[in-house]
Amino acid sequence: MFLGRVVGELWATKKVRDLEGKRLLVIESLDERREPGAPKVTPVVAADPIGAGVGEHVIVAFGKAARVACGGDGDLAYEAAVVGIVDDAEVPEAPASWGLGGAH
Amino acid sequence: MLLATVVGQVWATQKDDSLAGVRLVVVRPFVRGKDGGEEPSAETMVAADPLGVGNGERVLVVFGRAARHVIGRGHDIAFQTAVAAIVDGIEFEGGESLGPSADHD
Repeated sequence: MFLGRVVGELWATKKVRDLEGKRLLVIESLDERREPGAPKVTPVVAADPIGAGVGEHVIVAFGKAARVACGGDGDLAYEAAVVGIVDDAEVPEAPASWGLGGAH
Repeated sequence: MLLATVVGQVWATQKDDSLAGVRLVVVRPFVRGKDGGEEPSAETMVAADPLGVGNGERVLVVFGRAARHVIGRGHDIAFQTAVAAIVDGIEFEGGESLGPSADHD
């Protein structure tokens, strides 16, 4: 699982059936190497069963945990899902660019 | 799941029996530069393709059990990456967007 920030939303008409009706978000993980100055990021795509918005910080789960979060078991065509929207987080060493509001 | 661009197709006659008849494509994961646009990626992956994707198309790639489910031959097969969707568009924060291929951006 990781903490990430929603940076976009993805649309696809032609897709496997399991992904029909699934909201798909593009998410960048919060990572020291992914400071604004860092040159490149490979974002992940996650199913979003809880309605996160672009710009929000989210908790992303992988594998079976992701499928369970979307109400299924093992046989579903995705392996990453948003399982929580972060209200607040306190990570004193987090750089300001993460936008977590670490100082309380 | 990752965004990727299809860059080619690969054929292999000698392969694990569980892969007979599976179309294999070569994809490059999508990399976002610090200005938000797409950057060239050095990495490539091979993915099974049940949808019939073409070169240049942006796709959604899934891994592991999800990929084997997409391939549809049960879970005892020798592959763990598959194309699960063909991207129509991506809308990023700030209003910038990407189309179904670099030609459409």
